[in-house]
Amino acid sequence: MRKITTMIAVLAAAALVVLATPSAAQESARIHLIHGIPDTPVDVVAGGEVVFADFQFGDTQDLSALAGQTLTGLTVNAAGTDTVAIDAGDTALPASGNYTIIAHLDPEGTPTLAVFENDTSSTAAGEGRLTVRHTAAAPAVDVLANGEPAFTNLSNPNEAAADLPAGTISASVVPTGAADPVVIGPADLTVADGSSLIVYAVGSLEADSLTVLTETIDGLGTAPSAVNTGNSPVGDEAGLPVGLLALAGVALLAAAVPARRLAAARVR
Amino acid sequence: MARRRSVRAAAVLLLLAGVACGAPAGDGPDQVGTGAPPSTTTSIAEPVPDPEPEGRKTSELAELVQPLGSARYDPAEHEEPSRTVTGLSVPAVGVQDAPVEPVGVEPNGEMEIPPADEVGWYRFGAAPGEPGSAVLAAHVAYDGVDGVFRDLDRVSAGDDVTVAFDDGSSERYRVTEVVTFDKEALPEDLFARDVPERLVLITCGGEFNPSLRSYESNVVAYAVPA
Repeated sequence: MRKITTMIAVLAAAALVVLATPSAAQESARIHLIHGIPDTPVDVVAGGEVVFADFQFGDTQDLSALAGQTLTGLTVNAAGTDTVAIDAGDTALPASGNYTIIAHLDPEGTPTLAVFENDTSSTAAGEGRLTVRHTAAAPAVDVLANGEPAFTNLSNPNEAAADLPAGTISASVVPTGAADPVVIGPADLTVADGSSLIVYAVGSLEADSLTVLTETIDGLGTAPSAVNTGNSPVGDEAGLPVGLLALAGVALLAAAVPARRLAAARVR
Repeated sequence: MARRRSVRAAAVLLLLAGVACGAPAGDGPDQVGTGAPPSTTTSIAEPVPDPEPEGRKTSELAELVQPLGSARYDPAEHEEPSRTVTGLSVPAVGVQDAPVEPVGVEPNGEMEIPPADEVGWYRFGAAPGEPGSAVLAAHVAYDGVDGVFRDLDRVSAGDDVTVAFDDGSSERYRVTEVVTFDKEALPEDLFARDVPERLVLITCGGEFNPSLRSYESNVVAYAVPA
C-alpha cells in the first residue's frame, strides 16, 4: 500500500514536471517579428488561417507565446489578398532563446524572411551593444560612427556588432569603400549601458526607401566590479578610538607571538 | 560555451528553415522561402466578422501574438533627463549640500570615485528622481583627508536625505536601512535598475588594511522617497 502511494506520488511529480516543461520553455523564449518592407501591408497566414492581418511596415509582433510550435504553410500575403509575398513553408519556431525574424527585401528586392539570433550576453559596466543588420535591397555598405568606419563591407543579410562605451554616436551608412553618398543618416543613436540596440537597414536603394528600424534588448548590464572609497584611515575624534583599538590590537599581537613561540620551544 | 551556443544556433536555424536548401556559410541568417507567388486567386474581402466565414478564418494562434508597436527609432526614448543631480545633503552625518559629479567606470571595472570632498553619481545607472537605483558613492577618507561619507556608517533608518538638481529643484528621501557588506560579497543588485526609485549611498568601512591601503567592507545606506 505504501509502495503504491509512493509510486502515485512519483508519477504525479513526474507528470507535473512534464506539464511544467513546455511553459518554462515558452517563458525563456523571446521571438519578435519585424515588418521591414516599406509600403507593403501584409497578412501573416499559417495553416490556412490568418494569424494577424494588416501588419504594417515598421511594426513588431511578439511571437514568444508561439515558441516551440510549428507554423504549417506559413505565408506572408499582401494585406487582404491571397497574393503570396513570402512562402516560408512549414516553419518551426525555436522553443527557447532570443530571436528576431524580419520580413525584408533581399539584395535584389524580393521579399524574404531572415532569422537572427540575438546576442544576450552581458555587457561590461559602462558599455552597451550596437548591432547593425543589413536587410535592405542595396549593395554592401560601410557603417560610419562619428565619421569613422565602424563596420565595413556589410552585406544583406549579414550583421556586425560591437560593444561600445555608453553614449550617443552619429551613425551613417555609405556604399562600401566610399565616403559618399550617404544612403542612410546621419542619425544620432544612443547606446545605453546594459542595453543592446539592434539597427536594421531596410527598404530599397532603387526605390529610394532606405531607412532604419530598431529594437532594443535591455537588462544585459553589469555592475561595477567594486566601489573603493577609501585609502586611508579616518582621522579626528572618530578616528582616534579606531586607531587606538588598532594599536591595542597590534600590542596584543606583539605580546602574544613571543609567548607562543616560547611555548612551542618548551614543548620541544 | 561559445561552441555549444553556435551548435544550438545552427540547429535552430535549420529547424526554422524547414525544408531549406543548403545553409549558407558565414554569419548570415538563413533565408526562408522565395518571393514568387505560386498562384493568385481572387477573394472578396469580408469586412464584417462572419460567424462562419467562407474565406480565411482567424487562427487560434492570433490570440497568442502580441503587437508591440513601432520599430522606428524614436530619439525621444533616449533623451537625457531634463535635470542632473548636483548636490547631496545628509544632515544627520554632517553632509551639507556636498557637490555631486557624474562618474562612470575605471578601466579596471571599478566605479569611478571623485575627490574626497565630492560625491560621485553613477551615471550609467538610474538618476535620482527616476525608478531604479541611483548610486551615490563618496570616500570615507582618502590620502589622510576625511571624505564626504566619513560618517555614513552612523546614519539611521528615518534620517533625511536631500538631493539637489541643476534646475534648482530637489527631492527628499528617507533612509530605510544601513548595511555593511564584505567587499568580496557586494550584491550586484545595488546598481539594479529594475527596482522602485531608491538612493544607494556607498562608502567604505569595516577594518582598514594598511598594507593594501583599503577597507574590507562597504557601508551602504538605502533611502526611498520621503
